[in-house]
Amino acid sequence: MKVEGTRTFAAPRETVWGVLNSPESMAKLMPGVESFDVQDDKHWRANVKIPLGMGGLRMSFDFTKLEERQPEFAKLHAKGNGVGAIVSMETAFNLAENGSSTDMKWEADVKIAGPVGSMGQRVLQPIVNQQVNNVLTALDKQVQEAAGGSAAEPETDSEVNGPTQSTES
Amino acid sequence: MTETATTPLVVAPGETKPGFAGTNVPRKEDKRLVQGEGVFFDDMKRHGMGYVHFVRSPYAHAKIVSIDVSKALELGGVYGTLTGEEVAILTDPFFELSVKPGADIKDYALAVHRVRHVGEPVAAVVASSRELARDAAELVEVEYEPLPVLTTGQDALRNDTILHEDAGSNVVWQGVFDWGDYEGAVAEADHVVKIERLHFDRFSSTPLECSGVLCEYNRGTGQWTLYGNHQMPGVGAIWMAPALRTGIDKLRFVSQDIGGAFGNKICLHPQYVACCLLARKLNRPVQWTEWRTDQHTANAHGNERTFLDVEVPVTKDGRMLGLKVRAIDDCGAFPRYEPLGCIIWAQVTPGCYRWRNIRVDFTQVCTNKSPVSPNRGYSRMQHLWLTERVIDLVASELELDPVEVRKRNYVRADEMPYETPNGCVYDSGDYARCLDIALDLIGYDELEAKRRDAESRGKLLGFGIGSTLDSGTNNFGQSTLLNPELQFSGNNEVATVKLDIFGEIVVTLGTVPQGQGHETTASQVVADILGVTPDDVTVRAGHDSYWNSHAGFSGTYASQFAVTGLGAVKGATDKLAHEIKRVAAGVFGATPDDIELADGQARLAANAEAAIPFMGIGAIVNANNAILPEDVRDVTLNCRYVYVPPFQLPDKERKFGNLTLTYATQIHTCLVEIDPDTGVYDIVDYAAVDDCGTRIHPQIVEGQVHGATAQALGAATHEIFAYDEEGNLLTPNFYDYHVPHALDMPPLKNGYLESPSPFTPLGAKGMGEGGGAGIHAVCAALQDALASRGKPTVWRSCNPYHQVWEYLREPTRLVEVTTP
Repeated sequence: MKVEGTRTFAAPRETVWGVLNSPESMAKLMPGVESFDVQDDKHWRANVKIPLGMGGLRMSFDFTKLEERQPEFAKLHAKGNGVGAIVSMETAFNLAENGSSTDMKWEADVKIAGPVGSMGQRVLQPIVNQQVNNVLTALDKQVQEAAGGSAAEPETDSEVNGPTQSTES
Repeated sequence: MTETATTPLVVAPGETKPGFAGTNVPRKEDKRLVQGEGVFFDDMKRHGMGYVHFVRSPYAHAKIVSIDVSKALELGGVYGTLTGEEVAILTDPFFELSVKPGADIKDYALAVHRVRHVGEPVAAVVASSRELARDAAELVEVEYEPLPVLTTGQDALRNDTILHEDAGSNVVWQGVFDWGDYEGAVAEADHVVKIERLHFDRFSSTPLECSGVLCEYNRGTGQWTLYGNHQMPGVGAIWMAPALRTGIDKLRFVSQDIGGAFGNKICLHPQYVACCLLARKLNRPVQWTEWRTDQHTANAHGNERTFLDVEVPVTKDGRMLGLKVRAIDDCGAFPRYEPLGCIIWAQVTPGCYRWRNIRVDFTQVCTNKSPVSPNRGYSRMQHLWLTERVIDLVASELELDPVEVRKRNYVRADEMPYETPNGCVYDSGDYARCLDIALDLIGYDELEAKRRDAESRGKLLGFGIGSTLDSGTNNFGQSTLLNPELQFSGNNEVATVKLDIFGEIVVTLGTVPQGQGHETTASQVVADILGVTPDDVTVRAGHDSYWNSHAGFSGTYASQFAVTGLGAVKGATDKLAHEIKRVAAGVFGATPDDIELADGQARLAANAEAAIPFMGIGAIVNANNAILPEDVRDVTLNCRYVYVPPFQLPDKERKFGNLTLTYATQIHTCLVEIDPDTGVYDIVDYAAVDDCGTRIHPQIVEGQVHGATAQALGAATHEIFAYDEEGNLLTPNFYDYHVPHALDMPPLKNGYLESPSPFTPLGAKGMGEGGGAGIHAVCAALQDALASRGKPTVWRSCNPYHQVWEYLREPTRLVEVTTP
């Protein structure tokens, strides 16, 4: 399942980069994070509770930073395990200066195996979209805080596309 | 809602036969079933038994890096586990039917080092309850390394990713079948109609009862008893015993009642072997009862088949001269019963038609989907769907009437028995007459008025026909056309009939009934021969391989009970009748020819008062035999008969020979109405006409027709095993995989014809798998309804509403007409 989108932040590129590359900030971005451990610069682990079904789906995620070109590009791999689901995600973003703002173009390839994956897009698509929006909103807030501005009315513009999937035989 | 025509249209009633065969006697099985007193395998429990739960792969394709069962074993109430590594030590791989490369595939009871489809069993956990076993299975830690996934046959053919490294290719079997003179047909043709692509979707017939087994191991004798619902235990044992490194007699299969089996209970040997290993390892009985989601995800699907580059040379008046096609069959992750599907379709090579020049390039491949097994209508259904699609697409392109094109091309009644281009012999039938009945039943004469009426309501009306054959009683020699080394041919079935000491008549079948009414129909045949009523005949319920009424091909499959099962019953009863007559003749000082059997007695035909009741005959032979004359002391009144159909070995070079004994006919017609704004459609009228030769129990035949039609309509409208590109099954439960309910069924009208088979003991034909006609009838009706909307090619067998909406939105045409 591929998801992609764009987002404009009312902050300089270095500020956005700083937020996106700080494990502590990342921990705050992710929805339902119950614990977050930084193993080294490139490896993090998070225990999260995804709001799926009664009681939520608890998963542990291992993050690995695969590639980075400061301050414009980074690529991350995450593998999550939980009862009924194994999630594998590769995500990347590009940051471009746009006057005093920063444009972020991002994409993610999410692969979900196990019974949760079998539920298909009908169930997963709204959940993925909801989670992406939560992350982006939280990111906005972090960026604004880092830029010293107000998070109440961020000057942002975003668009989320996907996911795309083919089931044709 | 289903509405059965109360007076089926009887066209050829023939001579009225005295006796019980041909009448709707009450079904013997129904009393216990409707009272909830049936015994299914899951009704059986044993002291101290464990419940098995399989740990299944979440990945469609991955290496197994490690399996750790320690946390599961620490849980109280967990009795033990089994992993693929143990299986690889304790068993040999199941034998493969194919030649290379398929022959080199290694298939075990549990995944060894690699998983190849979502839901593949990786390990098993046994615990004191089913729920605990399931919870404990969650504690088994399996580390996977995902691999690239193949979800289509065409992708698999490229061999970029190899599923079975031992085989070195994803191809299981490949071969070209060439009969007649295809190039000659093209030269003679006015047109060649070309169809780019057709696709038969993946689905499976759904049994009420999922698979399973209660497995006991006897350490003293080294013997396993499997109380389960395997529908073909004779063949199951042939797979299992060598894998378990034991003898066939060490595997006793028992079943009483089975809640439906449509071929999906033929390939249970992997799970059964895992249960055998667990019962032995843990020294306790174990029971595996499949969960419904597992049944959908990983039991067995029907074969998925893509037809490419179809070419049909045809005359301008619609006479079909030949057919050429490239078929790619997707058998899922393991071949198991395959590659038999690569030849089974050839039982009906020309469909109902007089085509003489046929070339089929057939390739079967493995993909990362659930393995297949012979789903109801096995392999013929896919091929017959192709032939029917071809007929209608050709008629549509040449603007000919599909009814006329069929009648022009059907094999005619006066040509029966008819030898097909590949040497099969269609035994009897009158397809054109069946079509007339089916047309009458849906009021075909008023089709145009119905079309106008639908239009006035904003609907598109379509009319469709499905003409199929249910070939029954396999000649297993056809397997040698795939693999010349295989030592299978012919077929057999067994029954015993005995007269006991108090005069009870007891019948034992080798078959494995799953709801087909074997007890009832067997009692009808016995009653007619012995001059008693069906109530006087006890047919032992179910199957037990220890009854000695069991042959190598015993089972219930391939539309054959009315021929093989009842053939065996008839043979055994004839033997018993002769023995009874010999005893009576000995007592009366007469000859057996002087004796008749009637009213539960053996009596002198010339003097009905000189009679011995069967109780007397049973008592004399079993308990008072010192009074018997010497020349009848060989009588046992316990007669076993093996019915062997009259088959020869096929010609391996020409791929030519009689592959099956009987051909029941199904001609279905239907009307659909489509809402052009949404693609939603209703089947507004439906007729099914069946000709299965002499009917032993007409009501049972009708029941089979209803069930098969319902399954076909499910396959045509909703039922599809859809996978995403990662190999996740998107329809693993009844929420997404919609099986028709009673309210989904259209008005269903039935008609029949009886064209007795000249080749079978009772003139009857097998007829359980004739549902495929429904799939095509719906496709044809959709094609017809959409003709005014850009004439899209209905290229898939399953057409849910969203697919019809796609046809409306983008009417893609995949057909062209060329002139040689």
